[in-house]
Amino acid sequence: MADTAVTGYAEALFAVASAEGDLSTVEDELFGFAQAFRSNDELRSTLSDGNVPVARRLQVVDDLLEGRVSATTSVLLAMVVGAGRSAELPAIVDAFIERSAASRDKAVATVRAAVALTADQRDRLAAAIKTATGKDVEIRVVEDPSVLGGVVTEIGDDIIDGSVRRRLNQLRESFR
Amino acid sequence: MSNRPIRLLAAPLLALVVLVAFAGPASASAESVGSCMAERFAEAVETYHGNVEEAAHDEAVQKKLEKCFEAPSPILPELNEIIWGGGAFLILFVLMVKKGFPAVQGAMDARADRIRADLDAADQAKQDALSVKAGYEARLADSKSEASRLIDEARGDAEKVRADLIARAEADAAGIRERAAVESDAAKAQAIADLRAEVAAIALGAAERVVQSSLDAEVQGRLIDAYIDEVAGANG
Repeated sequence: MADTAVTGYAEALFAVASAEGDLSTVEDELFGFAQAFRSNDELRSTLSDGNVPVARRLQVVDDLLEGRVSATTSVLLAMVVGAGRSAELPAIVDAFIERSAASRDKAVATVRAAVALTADQRDRLAAAIKTATGKDVEIRVVEDPSVLGGVVTEIGDDIIDGSVRRRLNQLRESFR
Repeated sequence: MSNRPIRLLAAPLLALVVLVAFAGPASASAESVGSCMAERFAEAVETYHGNVEEAAHDEAVQKKLEKCFEAPSPILPELNEIIWGGGAFLILFVLMVKKGFPAVQGAMDARADRIRADLDAADQAKQDALSVKAGYEARLADSKSEASRLIDEARGDAEKVRADLIARAEADAAGIRERAAVESDAAKAQAIADLRAEVAAIALGAAERVVQSSLDAEVQGRLIDAYIDEVAGANG
């Protein structure tokens, strides 16, 4: 049910963004907003709270994004939030980005690292992943301090964990 | 049985013989003293040919007359009495033998039978009593043996219960000791594990802080490069 809704909204976002012709920009902006939504508890609880009036929620989104994102992104986010689907927003954005990548015959590799990757590192990582898995991927970087160092790459259900956090966890396990 | 009447008959006959043999001469007749004296005197008168005075003074005649005063034999009765008495006796005897004796005999036999039956009954009763007594004794013995058996059984049961209780108590004690040992071991293991986890947490916290402080931009870049190389080499 939720999956159907998520897929439906993702298709709608993709269709609008494609029609408006700025798919790549919308992807980047929505991805950024989804990351902020995931990491910011206050934002998440405000937008997901059924007791907060829809107008107030839309106002929050407008205030947050005003002048920082394209009009298409703003409208699409207002649609999702206004429809009361804020709780599914990250899943909808993920599904939208996967849908967009699939339209270019690519998969999405979500890369979590403590620091941002350089363009060169992104290209090399994409090449390395193609070498390793045979898939053409688009790299989406999430800055995540909890990784400490190194990188964690997620492609669908596959996870390639090369983080310092994992090493520390392994060390912790070895103590038991 | 058959010679008994003969014996009964012999006794009175013997008595009669003895009576006759020891009896004195019967001087007194059945006549009275007067008739005796008249008869004697008449004989003497006749002897003296009618001379009454002479006859009366004759001493021989006087002796004869005096003899008339002598009493008859105290033992031997007159002959006619003997005849009548004997006849009556015989008739009575025959009647007794023929009628009385069988009746008496029958009564005696009946009485003897009754006594015998009574004796038999008493004997039977005694036998019955003895058998009842034997039965009671047997039952008493049975009761005693039963009681003894019950006591033995109860003693055996009590012994078994005691043994069971002891065994259970020992088992419980062993179980408690074992549980205590297990709990003690578990507590020790838990304490060691807790200590180890705490030491590990402290060590890991320290390590994390060291790592964080040492992860500058250059190191981060190197780590990412190393990761990319690792991913690229994973296929090879």
